Amino acid sequence: MSVPLSQMWTVATYVLKQKLSGRKRYPLVLMLEPLFRCNLTCAGCGKIQYPAQILKTHLTLEQCLKAVDECGAPVVSIPGGEPLMYPQIGELVHALVKRRKYVYLCTNALLLKEKLEQGVLKPSRYLSLSIHMDGLREDHDEAVCRDGVYDRAVEAIKEALRRGFRVTTNTTLFDGASPLRMREFFDEMMGLGVEGMMLSPGYSYAKAPDQEHFLRRGRTHDLFSKMLSNAKKQWKFNQSPLFLQFLMGKRDYECTPWGNPTFNLFGWQRPCYLLQEGYAGSFRELMEATRWESYGRKSGNEKCQDCMVHCGYEATAVDDTFSGWKGFKDTLVATFTGKL
Amino acid sequence: MTLQGWVPEIGEFLTLAEVIDLAFDYRGNTTVVKVDETEIEGYVFNRDREAPEPFIQLFDVAGNGPIRIPYSEIRNVKFTGRDTAAGNSWQAWLERREREKADKTARLETGPA
Repeated sequence: MSVPLSQMWTVATYVLKQKLSGRKRYPLVLMLEPLFRCNLTCAGCGKIQYPAQILKTHLTLEQCLKAVDECGAPVVSIPGGEPLMYPQIGELVHALVKRRKYVYLCTNALLLKEKLEQGVLKPSRYLSLSIHMDGLREDHDEAVCRDGVYDRAVEAIKEALRRGFRVTTNTTLFDGASPLRMREFFDEMMGLGVEGMMLSPGYSYAKAPDQEHFLRRGRTHDLFSKMLSNAKKQWKFNQSPLFLQFLMGKRDYECTPWGNPTFNLFGWQRPCYLLQEGYAGSFRELMEATRWESYGRKSGNEKCQDCMVHCGYEATAVDDTFSGWKGFKDTLVATFTGKL
Repeated sequence: MTLQGWVPEIGEFLTLAEVIDLAFDYRGNTTVVKVDETEIEGYVFNRDREAPEPFIQLFDVAGNGPIRIPYSEIRNVKFTGRDTAAGNSWQAWLERREREKADKTARLETGPA
């Protein structure tokens, strides 16, 4: 696994503090969406289907920082939309780094090289450029519905690494993904020199155009088992090993929908990053007034039955690490041996 | 299937609350018709029918908002804007890609003009 020790330590002490204080529900990663606008229209994305006035609008820097302070999570992920299209992305990242938040800037990298040359972002141990890469060239370009995107992303990754940035990749997998090609893809990404890779099965957004290629639970186990069994030593994953074992069908977890709370133009999204069932006016209202028992697999909610996405289950895996010796030991073993 | 262009008839078989739920789920602008006969066009992004005073929230077409309107002030909601989630861009992408591949192959086979 490739999460830096300082980041592990920050997350570990944060989680332990929450547990010692008896806080039953706590956020782990804030999903901060400063805008919905994007320069791609990927078939699996349900985040960008809005009328023009919504796509033209974005959060103010003050709104973003207020949400970060309100939430208190040690990690802030900035997806979107395409966050590099946010006019104040440099100031936002700078302010988050100053607050010692670990930031994952999730970008398709189309604008990355240009932003790096302009000096908009500065390397920091708190900042990871998390590049959207859904597979090898042909697979990625097909997933993002545009040719040439893979090559531009690779070019941007090289440039970011050359400038001393932490670079990770984030990959969403859909039905039809080939385990063999994915293993080749892991080799290729590690060959580029990225710090680590993040994987997640896709979610069947009700508003995404492509509804036929989302993974069901059994297929997810099958795909991830084939991909990650006998994982090569050089492959580094920037996520909880217990979450990857869950994807492989080796663990059974329940969703933690409050683990990755989402803030965007509309407010605090209920109940999670994927479902939009309403918005709360404050983080406190989100945590206290959401009917959490209506979500997750055990609730019987049909929208949750096939979901195994990181934003619901990685928080569960991290919580498991700190809930007892077994989880802790299993995490240590997987982290240091690389065996999943 | 899209609700684009639909003007609901609220009555015995369709309540205002149901129409508002559909408007909340609609990825396009709608026109909220108020009981005082004024209208406001915009994107309904939130609704809370269980609040002490149920309300909707929207951004109008100029991007102003959030604007909060109680259910008690709403007569109807018309689905006037384009449904941005309608269509199947995945299929369109695959077809375009196949067409491009076929064109490329044809060009290679016929050689330079």
